[in-house]
Amino acid sequence: MEISHNSDYNDRKFALPVDSEHKATEFRLFSIATPHMRAFHLSWISFFSCFVSTFAAPPLLPIIRDNLNLTATDIGNAGIAAVSGAVFARVAMGTACDLFGPRLASSSLILLTAPAVYLSAIANSPATFLMVRFFTGFSLATFVSTQFWMSSMFSPNVVGTANGLSGGWGNLGGGATQLIMPLVYSLIQTNIGSTKFTAWRIAFFIPAFFQTLGAYGIFFLGQDMPDGNYVRLEKAGEKHKDNFSQVFYHAITNYRGWILALTYGYCFGVELTIDNIIAQYFYDRFDVNLHTAGIIAASFGLANLFSRPGGGMLSDLMAKRFGMRGRLWTLWVVQMIGGLLCFLLGKIGSLNGSVVVMLVFSVFVQAACGLTFGVVPFVSRRSLGVISGMTGGGGNVGAVLTQVIFFRGSRYSTEEGISLMGVMIMCCTLVILFIYFPQWGGLFCGPRKGVTEEDYYLSEWTAAEKEQGFHKMSLKFSENSRRERGKKGASVPILSEKETPSTVVKLYFALFSSSMFGEES
Amino acid sequence: MELPFVFLISYLILSCFAASCHGVTFSSLQKTLIVSASSPLGHDLKAGKDELTIKWEFNQTFPPGTDSSYKTVKLKLCYAPESQKDRPWRKTVDNLKKDKTCQHLIVARPYNPSNNSFTWTVERDIPSAKFFVRVYAYDGQEVAVGYGQNTDHSKTVGLFSVHAITGRHASIDVASACFSLFSVGSLAGFFYLERRKGKVSEYK
Repeated sequence: MEISHNSDYNDRKFALPVDSEHKATEFRLFSIATPHMRAFHLSWISFFSCFVSTFAAPPLLPIIRDNLNLTATDIGNAGIAAVSGAVFARVAMGTACDLFGPRLASSSLILLTAPAVYLSAIANSPATFLMVRFFTGFSLATFVSTQFWMSSMFSPNVVGTANGLSGGWGNLGGGATQLIMPLVYSLIQTNIGSTKFTAWRIAFFIPAFFQTLGAYGIFFLGQDMPDGNYVRLEKAGEKHKDNFSQVFYHAITNYRGWILALTYGYCFGVELTIDNIIAQYFYDRFDVNLHTAGIIAASFGLANLFSRPGGGMLSDLMAKRFGMRGRLWTLWVVQMIGGLLCFLLGKIGSLNGSVVVMLVFSVFVQAACGLTFGVVPFVSRRSLGVISGMTGGGGNVGAVLTQVIFFRGSRYSTEEGISLMGVMIMCCTLVILFIYFPQWGGLFCGPRKGVTEEDYYLSEWTAAEKEQGFHKMSLKFSENSRRERGKKGASVPILSEKETPSTVVKLYFALFSSSMFGEES
Repeated sequence: MELPFVFLISYLILSCFAASCHGVTFSSLQKTLIVSASSPLGHDLKAGKDELTIKWEFNQTFPPGTDSSYKTVKLKLCYAPESQKDRPWRKTVDNLKKDKTCQHLIVARPYNPSNNSFTWTVERDIPSAKFFVRVYAYDGQEVAVGYGQNTDHSKTVGLFSVHAITGRHASIDVASACFSLFSVGSLAGFFYLERRKGKVSEYK
């Protein structure tokens, strides 16, 4: 192995204990030590501000709809537009992270979408309203950079926790905005004395400004990896500047990425849909006033404070004992229960019962999101960004699909839509049964004997690339991910020589058929 | 010991339901008031600027004493069916507690059988829509007991079109544009700084 040019790199002291990739093996919430914990705080705060901006319109809709003369159809379309932009933006963001690093990728996106929020203040028709919501929604792609950054900074044993906390506290913005925006609006009305139709416009400057601040924070205070930024590491030869088409190819040919994209659509996608429709549901079905409906809607999003991080921590906890199989099983069970609760939510006819079921439902569906990103960091090392992006994008696709199928027009009443959505969640979660890691196993099958983590992660590099030493990081990651075997798998790994990229897919088919007769662990 | 407690709770719960069950319905009200509304500018009004003059009086064709319980009147600006289409937050519902047709209060006055007139400047927070004017009469307990409106039953004649303010000001437009340019400009700055950092580390 090459010795790095700067030997003091390896002697560098970090505030937290680190592994061989210099990723932190501990997570200390109240520290802001560079680079690990600082990256955590920068990422969740900026992601939070993006969520606040994207969902800033719904709580102020009673005023906006009168100012811009919107119909229910206009509002529904704008809601769908707000979550559909991020579908492709998330995949693009994943690629950008792989190629340019999360620091540049996220600060760029945040600064490019901030104008959409500033310009929301001068929207003057249903069409312009739809456009500003559409472009603002692109900022939700910072989710991918958040998860990528955490996966780059934190070791496998705490990556679920780090991902869950940063994702959850970011998603919190969707709930917090239901409280923040009306407050800002009323402050503007009373203190500046503006009319309703001017006050909401001025209110939008607040989330826009915080978004901009977030980008500045990330750029000046953050760094891509524990050892430094991509640009410096690449120039110093520490990190190889990867090839876009290879990165992209390895992501889209990994079937696990597609499965997780689908299932994420039915936990996170459902969460976004509920963010858009729940206030209206309580207002119409139970005749609570708009203020109360807003508080109920906010509490759904606010559960993210502990439920998504809880999912991430649960994933890490299960992995300690049962390895990757524990992570997969927990994800499946929690998301299934979430689907069942969603089905029940539409069936309950009383206000108090509905609120209770909604709160329990929010905990399960958000925990499932956290659990999903306990698995994602392990699907690919080379194409971590694109896989994260695909999964994240899949989440938004789920949001678009569920809103278009169940909550548009008058085909289904809202309660029917909610129940049917619950059924769809349960059906789509079944595909988790098909996820199989040859080195760790799947839901029903154990790992293939003799297959190592190196086999899996190094199969993403060609012989020529390995010769040039581009695969160093994957090698280190393989070592560090040995923990995913759980307490049982303690055998010493044998490095094999399989190298072609499509081996992973071929291996899966071979294993799937032979595992019927093979040994279960 | 527990039984009286149970009775108390059920009484409280039931009384809540009872109150809502007895909400007044619009169809139970008689159209005992004659209402007319006019504006020197015709039927197109600008919010915040133009004025509407409303006149109302008791319809003498009803038996005298019908208005004996009338204590106050409330003048309201109500949405015409055209402006309620595809907007469930303006829906007409018979139960007056849930009815959302008349969301804008013009003025409340003590009841007089005749000689009533009020000139109102259309407020700045009225949205762009088609409206008619309705006057509700209330008794001493604030329960609606009669009404009148300046249009017919189908709510298609005598409507007023209000053109709302945009709420935009030149200062907001300029601020929006400036901040947006600043954001994009910052990004260009970031890329430049990053390039420079890269060049510097190359020479190290």
